[in-house]
Amino acid sequence: MNNPEFRRNLWLAFSPHRLIAMPAILGLLFLAIVLSSSFQLAKDLHSAATTSFIFIVWLWGLRNANASIVDELRDNTWDQQRMSALQPWEMTWGKLFGATSFNWYGGVICLVVAAFTGFAYEEADTLMNLLTLVATAVLLHAASIALNLHGSRIESRIIRRGGMGWVALFVLFMFISSAHNIWSSYQINWWGMQVSNSLFLFCSSVLFAACAVFAAWRTMCSALQVRTLPWAWPLFAVILGAYLAGFFSNYDVNPAHSLFTSALFVAVSMTYVALITEPTGLVVWRRLKLRQKAEDWQGWLQQLPLWPSTLALSFLFALLASVSADELQLSRTASVIFGMAPLTLALMLLRDTCIFLFFTFSPNSKRAVGAALFYLVVINMLLPFLTRVANMESLSYFFLPVGADNPWQGVLVMASHTAIAFSLLRWRLRHEDGQSQSAG
Amino acid sequence: MIQISGLTFDYPGHRALDNISLTVSAGSVTALVGPNGAGKTTLMRCIAGLETPLTGSIHVAGMDVIANPREVHRTMGYLSDFFGLYQDLSVAQCLEYAAASQGLPAADIAAAIATTARQLGLEARLQQASGSLSRGLRQRVAIGQAIIHKPKVLLLDEPASGLDPEARASLAGLFRQLQADGMTLLVSSHILAELDEYSTHMLSLREGHVLENRALSLAHPAVAQRHLLLQLAQADARLPEWLKEQGQVMLRHVTGDLAGFDFHGDLADQAALLQALLQAGFAVASFSEQKENLQQSYMQSIALHQAEEA
Repeated sequence: MNNPEFRRNLWLAFSPHRLIAMPAILGLLFLAIVLSSSFQLAKDLHSAATTSFIFIVWLWGLRNANASIVDELRDNTWDQQRMSALQPWEMTWGKLFGATSFNWYGGVICLVVAAFTGFAYEEADTLMNLLTLVATAVLLHAASIALNLHGSRIESRIIRRGGMGWVALFVLFMFISSAHNIWSSYQINWWGMQVSNSLFLFCSSVLFAACAVFAAWRTMCSALQVRTLPWAWPLFAVILGAYLAGFFSNYDVNPAHSLFTSALFVAVSMTYVALITEPTGLVVWRRLKLRQKAEDWQGWLQQLPLWPSTLALSFLFALLASVSADELQLSRTASVIFGMAPLTLALMLLRDTCIFLFFTFSPNSKRAVGAALFYLVVINMLLPFLTRVANMESLSYFFLPVGADNPWQGVLVMASHTAIAFSLLRWRLRHEDGQSQSAG
Repeated sequence: MIQISGLTFDYPGHRALDNISLTVSAGSVTALVGPNGAGKTTLMRCIAGLETPLTGSIHVAGMDVIANPREVHRTMGYLSDFFGLYQDLSVAQCLEYAAASQGLPAADIAAAIATTARQLGLEARLQQASGSLSRGLRQRVAIGQAIIHKPKVLLLDEPASGLDPEARASLAGLFRQLQADGMTLLVSSHILAELDEYSTHMLSLREGHVLENRALSLAHPAVAQRHLLLQLAQADARLPEWLKEQGQVMLRHVTGDLAGFDFHGDLADQAALLQALLQAGFAVASFSEQKENLQQSYMQSIALHQAEEA
C-alpha cells in the first residue's frame, strides 16, 4: 500500500469501532429479513442486499467521494496536496477508493450476500447484475471527483458549499428514467444488434465508469498543474454520440445520419457545458495569444480550453449530418429538419459562443457568465416566444429560424446573427487589447 | 537558488505581477515585504508552482517550475497564509502523510518524523489529534509538514500571524536554525519587526513591481552610508558643532549625551573619527554602528521609489 493518499483515507475511514459496526448492522438487517420472510427467503435477502449496496456504496459513497475534494478545499488542505510530489494518477485512485473505502467494506458484504442468494434462487445474470452495480458505483464516485475538480477551476465557493456530486447522481437517475425500455425488456436493439438487457447495462456501466475514472484523472492532472493536450473531451463527445446513436438505429433512418446527428447534439451540448464551466476570460485569451506569438504550439494546445474542440466537432458533424440527410429521401418538411437544421444549429452555437465570450472578455468579468446566460435566454427563448404569441411569425423566424419553407433561409438568418456576434467579439478584443497595451 | 525572469501574472481585470525579474541567493532568509495587494502571495504561489503565470520563467534549484512543478515540489516546502490540517489525524499521522506524499522512502519516514518533531518541540504531542492543538502548535505542525522532506527552499506566507509573542520568538529561532542548516527561506509578513530578527535579505514589492531586492547588511547603492550612534559619559555642549564640522558626517539628532548621525566612509574612516573625538577631549562611552532596521529599509525603499517617480 504505497499510495499515501489512499493510506491517509484509510486512517480517516476506519476505526476498530467502525470495523465491527458495519458487519454487525448489516448482519442484524439480514437477520431481520430472515426472521420476517416467510416466502422466497433467498429473493428477499438478495433484494435487501442489493438495496443496501445502493444506499451504502452508491449514495453514501458518492457523498464521501464528493467530500474527498470538498473537504480539502473547505479545510484549506488542498494546497498541501497540490504541493505534494504525488502524481495525478496516485492522487486520483487514492481518493477514489480511499475516501469510499468504508463504503466498499460494507458493499463487499452486501455483494457476497447478494451473490449467494442470487445463485440460490437462480436469478439469471446474477453476476453481471452485481458487476453492473459495482461499475455504476465507480462511475458515480469518479464523476463526482471529476465534476468537483472541474468546477473548482472557475468557482471554488460552490464546491466548498457542498460540491457537484449531486450532478452525477442527477444524470444517472435521468438516464435510468429515460432508459425505461432498457429495464423493462429482455433485449436491447442497439446499432441493429440484439443484446440482452443485463449485458447491455453491464457494458454501458463499465464503459462510462472507465470514462469517469479517466475524466477524474484528467481533471486531477489539470489541478496538479500537469499539462495535457485537449483530445479527451472531443473523443468523449464522439463516444457518447456513437453510444446514443445506437438507440435510434432501429428507426427508419440512415445509420450514418443518426450517428452524425446524435454526435452533433452531444458536441453542441458539451460545448455549452464547457463554455459555462471553464475559465474563459481575457487571461486565457492572452495566454493563447502569447503562445501563438512564440510559435509554441504544444503550449498553445495545452492552454486551449475544452469548448473549441467540441465547437469544431459540431461543425464537422453538422456538415456530415447535412450531407448524409440527402440519402434519406424524406418529405420536404423532414428534409428541412434533417437537411439544413444541423448547419443552422452549429451556426447558432457559434453565435452563442461569440456572445458568451463578448461578456466574459469584459474587464469586469465577475458577473459575466450570469449576464451572458441571461442574454442567451432572451435571444433563444424569450424573443422567439414573445413574437410567436404576438402572431409576428416573420419576426419570430428571424430570432429562431426553425421550420422555414426554404431550409437555406434558416442558415442565412443564423449566419447573419453569427456575423453580428462575431463583430461584437472582435470589437471587444481590439478594445481590451488596446487598453492592456496602453496599461502595459 | 530562485531565479525569476519576466514574470507576469494576471487576474481578471487586474495585473498582480508585472514583468518582474529577481534572484534569491542560496542560504538566505529573504523578507518579502509590501503593502496589501502588492503581489506577495501571488509571487509565492507562482514560485510554488500552484499558479501558472501569463509569461516568464521560474527556476528553483535549477529546475523549471512551470514545466515540471511536480518534480520541483520535492525540493520545496510551502506554508500558505490560510493553511489547514487534517483535524482527525494525529500529529504523527499528519507528518507521516506529508513525508510519504513528498516521496520520502518508507524506511526513512520514522526518522524524519522524529527529527522534525524534535526540531519543532512536538515530541510530546505526536499522538494528539491535530484538531485539538492550540494555534501556535498547529502552526508548528504545518511548518513540520512543509520541512519534513528537508526542502532546499521554504516559502512561508505570513507564518506568524495569530501567534503569541512566545510562539513568534520560537518561530524566529526555528528559522535561524533552518538557515544554519542550509535552507533558503522566503518569508512574507506584514510585521516587519518580526522579520527583522532573522532576515538576511529584503525583497520589496509594490503594485506588482520589485522596488528593491538586496542583502540587508549592505546599504542601498543610492545611499552609501551607515548610521552611527555615539554615547558620551556626560553631555558636552561642543558636540553638535564639532560633528557638523566633520565632512563625512550628517548629523541626525543629539539628545543630551547621545548623538546619532549618518556616516559616509569605511571602517578605517570610522576609526579615524573615533580617534579625533578622543583627541578633542570628548568622554566617549560607546561608538557603534546601528544595524539596519527592516522597517527603516522598507520605508527608505518606498521613499526612494516615490522620489524616482516624482
